[in-house]
Amino acid sequence: MPIKVLAFATGPRRHGNSETLLDWVLASLGEEPGVEIEKIALSEVRVNPCRGCNACETLNRCVQRDDMDMLHDKIIAADCIVFATPIYCMGICSQGKALVDRAQVFRSRKYVLKLPIVPKERKGKRLGIFIATAGQKMDSVFDGAIMSAKCFFHVIEVKDRDIEYLLVRGVDAAGEVETHPTAREEARATGKRAAARLREMLAPS
Amino acid sequence: MTGQGDGQGERGPVTGQGDGQGERGPVTIRVMGISGSPHRHGNTETLLDAFLEGAGGAGASVEMVVLKDLDFTPCQGCNACHRKDGCIVQDELSPLFDRIAAADCLALASPIYTMGITAELKGLIDRGQFLWARKYIAKTLYYSRDHLRRHKGVFISTAGQSWDHVFDGAFPILTAFFDITGFEYWDNVIANDMDRYGTIRKHPTALAMAREKGQRVVGVIGNMRASSPAGTPPPG
Repeated sequence: MPIKVLAFATGPRRHGNSETLLDWVLASLGEEPGVEIEKIALSEVRVNPCRGCNACETLNRCVQRDDMDMLHDKIIAADCIVFATPIYCMGICSQGKALVDRAQVFRSRKYVLKLPIVPKERKGKRLGIFIATAGQKMDSVFDGAIMSAKCFFHVIEVKDRDIEYLLVRGVDAAGEVETHPTAREEARATGKRAAARLREMLAPS
Repeated sequence: MTGQGDGQGERGPVTGQGDGQGERGPVTIRVMGISGSPHRHGNTETLLDAFLEGAGGAGASVEMVVLKDLDFTPCQGCNACHRKDGCIVQDELSPLFDRIAAADCLALASPIYTMGITAELKGLIDRGQFLWARKYIAKTLYYSRDHLRRHKGVFISTAGQSWDHVFDGAFPILTAFFDITGFEYWDNVIANDMDRYGTIRKHPTALAMAREKGQRVVGVIGNMRASSPAGTPPPG
């Protein structure tokens, strides 16, 4: 069985810093045997914001028909979900926030309807990776984004201890991450660590 | 840009002195509410309505903008505004920034979704990047301390969760936006645990608090204008 990795580049700028960082992580993961990677650039698909109608609490699905239909199934099928965002104004970019908010259907399924997100045998065997870049260098620049990211991962059945973080400060202009002293190395290490954890999680018991 | 808070010729009920941009005589205190909820007339918007009602009752001119009714693109992250003044995206959101600049009190409202503000309100806030660029790169935008104390920012929000920290992800985002739009982050009107109350109308204190704060902010701005016309040093 391949290890399925689903990655979201949520920033509006294609091949910007957060996507570059994501690409490095994916390249590192891709060197490992049996890893199958799919990357979605959110700017190339259509994911509308959540309408807040709460219909998913009874329907167990979203009333909106857009590319989230397809992404919903992919999120369930993946063993590893990677979410990459630039920090804009101390938070996830609005495009990425739309995806996070549309995970409400999973939250309703899990906490309101008390239905499983993944089959029982796959519970606790899902890894999340949160990648973010920020122009600012302040200590707290990722704090708000991490809170939303954690919720996103929790509702899609990735446990808190199974989220890896790769956060790079002080990169703003296009391509700036390339000149960051440690980012590339950290990304590589994140990929290796994630691969090792996934192998361990998915090993037949 | 230097025109934050300047009068556009609007005159109304007597609530204060001119704010230093050359008007003579009383100028209405303008309170602008922006709803970032996708859900019309939901808990957050109702709370915003109560705030505006309080402000209106105190003599301010109030207006409300519903972001979901505007057709706009989120920030494209192109950083063009870092090199050349202004945003290259022109859509229904663009004129809103001038209206924000003309307000004395800005009330931004969003429910908490997934520990943050909605994509709609985040969409507005991210588009403020051109103001950030003016303030911190071009350095053509500057708000004096006097300007900041006369311009009050309020965050209005509801959250389903009961956690005390449920608004914590939102606060820094609002702080950043008030900083670039020239408002002192004056207060919050927030109500958590809405999953328990169901509707804001059943919340024991939220609506009354919203009305009270709406009224108070107008009083605070009005008193300030009466006691020290803009441009003079604050008393004390």
